[in-house]
Amino acid sequence: MTTDRPSSLLSCRSVSKYYGAMAAVKTISFDVRVGEIVGIGGPNGAGKTSLFDVIAGLQPADEGAIFFNGEDVTSASPQELCHRGLARVFQSVVAFDSMTLRENVVIGAAYGHRLRFVPPLMLDRDTLERADRALDTVGLLDRANVPIASLPVLDRKLAMFASALATEPLMLLLDEPVGGLNPAEADRVMAVVRSLAEGGLTILLIEHVMRFMVQLCRRIIIMQHGEKIYEGSSEGMVRDPTVVSVYLGSATARRLFHFLAAS
Amino acid sequence: MRKDVAIGLPLLVLAIVVPFAWPTRYVVEEMTLFFIWAAVVTQWNLVFGVAGVFSLAQMAIFAIGGYVTGMLGLYLGWSLWLAMFAGGLAAVVFSALVGVACLRLRGAYVALLTLAITQTMYLLIITDTECFYMEGVTCRNFTGGTRGLTGYGDFGFHQLLPHKYAAFGDYFLALAVLCTATAFSVFIIRSPVGLAFKALRDNTVYAISRGIGRFKYQLLVFAASALFTGLAGAVYAGHFRVMGANTLYLSQTLFLLSMMIIGGVGQIWGPLLGAAALMLVDEALKEVVEWRLLGLGLMLVVFVVVWPKGLAGGVEAIARRWRRDSVRAFAAVRPEEVASAKE
Ligand SMILES: Nc1ncnc2c1ncn2[C@@H]1O[C@H](COP(=O)(O)OP(=O)(O)O)[C@@H](O)[C@H]1O
Ligand SMILES: [Mg+2]
Repeated sequence: MTTDRPSSLLSCRSVSKYYGAMAAVKTISFDVRVGEIVGIGGPNGAGKTSLFDVIAGLQPADEGAIFFNGEDVTSASPQELCHRGLARVFQSVVAFDSMTLRENVVIGAAYGHRLRFVPPLMLDRDTLERADRALDTVGLLDRANVPIASLPVLDRKLAMFASALATEPLMLLLDEPVGGLNPAEADRVMAVVRSLAEGGLTILLIEHVMRFMVQLCRRIIIMQHGEKIYEGSSEGMVRDPTVVSVYLGSATARRLFHFLAAS
Repeated sequence: MRKDVAIGLPLLVLAIVVPFAWPTRYVVEEMTLFFIWAAVVTQWNLVFGVAGVFSLAQMAIFAIGGYVTGMLGLYLGWSLWLAMFAGGLAAVVFSALVGVACLRLRGAYVALLTLAITQTMYLLIITDTECFYMEGVTCRNFTGGTRGLTGYGDFGFHQLLPHKYAAFGDYFLALAVLCTATAFSVFIIRSPVGLAFKALRDNTVYAISRGIGRFKYQLLVFAASALFTGLAGAVYAGHFRVMGANTLYLSQTLFLLSMMIIGGVGQIWGPLLGAAALMLVDEALKEVVEWRLLGLGLMLVVFVVVWPKGLAGGVEAIARRWRRDSVRAFAAVRPEEVASAKE
């Protein structure tokens, strides 16, 4: 059964997470194959971010099991998952505010790439190059030495991408990458995500901007009250009565239907 | 790094010249004490300022260094030169344990726990009344109790140096500890390890998501900040020939905390600047004892509220403005060279 490189990179089996009596994530199962881009949608409070917290090891799962790259990571810590190749971009813009942009990305390159038993006292060339490549990918290399606190929101968001990429991940978790951005800014982030997808990176993506999601993802999961209410193609999604009634609304569903037909 | 050498080297030269230019007992004594406190504050800054863990255990770590050194000298007859390093290592082990104890706590709770540790140590020492050995007809306690631990001797400079220069021995020993402590802290702050400490301070969740293990690096910063703190404690013990629980007074912890805050928390040169400033203020207020604590308290309040980046932050802001102005003045003459000047 198991091969050196399992085709299913991430596998969630009946994963649940409770906050008190409330099930933020309820018996969710799905797989993400190598090279796939899978989208997760659903109303606010559906439990999408909570699901990411559980997958990334920030919150322990109360039930179920999670496998990454063929190994059981259900109780792995965030740093261990990062070393195994799972890198996350947060929904809110976070940064190491006392540092420069480059230092923010060097953190990912130096500490996220692999576990270092001996703490590094010097930065090797490899690490610095990894950081600069990541900065280049998001188009921020020219501003590398600027204090990150002085950068606008878009650049800070892209810096999070860069620090994730600097770990050289097998898979990215993106939590609403274009949330809170104006259309022009959103375009830039979308372009980055598209280029990463074209480069063959496996991506699990939470998104509210449905046009962006249906363009990018061949498979979409919709959550509601912690449960998976739909998994399948985007064409199927716009015709699914439950998804249309609890999330999309008939007008958006119709617009998406025409959008899909046209492209 | 070059900037740090440019700041540190003149200070070192100054410190070497002072006792020869001003060979009074008073100056040498005060400067020696300044070196000891400044060394402690530079290390405390690694935990408190750089890693953002609000530990108040630094004087307990200092005391471990001093007491272990003294006890090895007294009970096992070790030379203080050897005992000093054992004291430093004991401080490292003790501090790492404090770090583990604080792992699950945040912010103010770390401060409370570490203060309790310091206070417990103080109480254990001053309530130590059991006879450990007899010196003639007097009973001596294991820790020295309220009278302090004595009888372990000193670093032996009085035999090594001519009488006139005997006090220089401890002076330069303390200076050597301060220098290596400062170099060590600069190196840590500028190294990738320092980046990991700062990352955990700035945003713990983000840092662990980028592969930085909190357990390992918190342990590391506690251990790293303890070696020179313990050595400073050893030098203190050897210098005064008595190690007492007065080092564990809350007022002493607050005095050093003020040095760090007034100098600039987390800043590379803040601790030195703050230690110098507070030693001077303390000297000035010594004449009016009743105002001493009030004066220090007021200064602390003013800095926390008005100037949270401390003296080092202020100096840096002035330097930056001065540099910008000079670049602008330069631009009026030769605009084409400004671009390179800015780089
Ligand atoms: N750390 C937490 N503690 C308690 N409740 C939480 C926590 N995180 C999320 N929740 C709750 O879980 C539910 C799902 O939230 P979330 O996963 O952020 O939804 P989404 O990302 O889909 O908008 C919400 O009701 C939220 O209030
Ligand atoms: Mg969310």
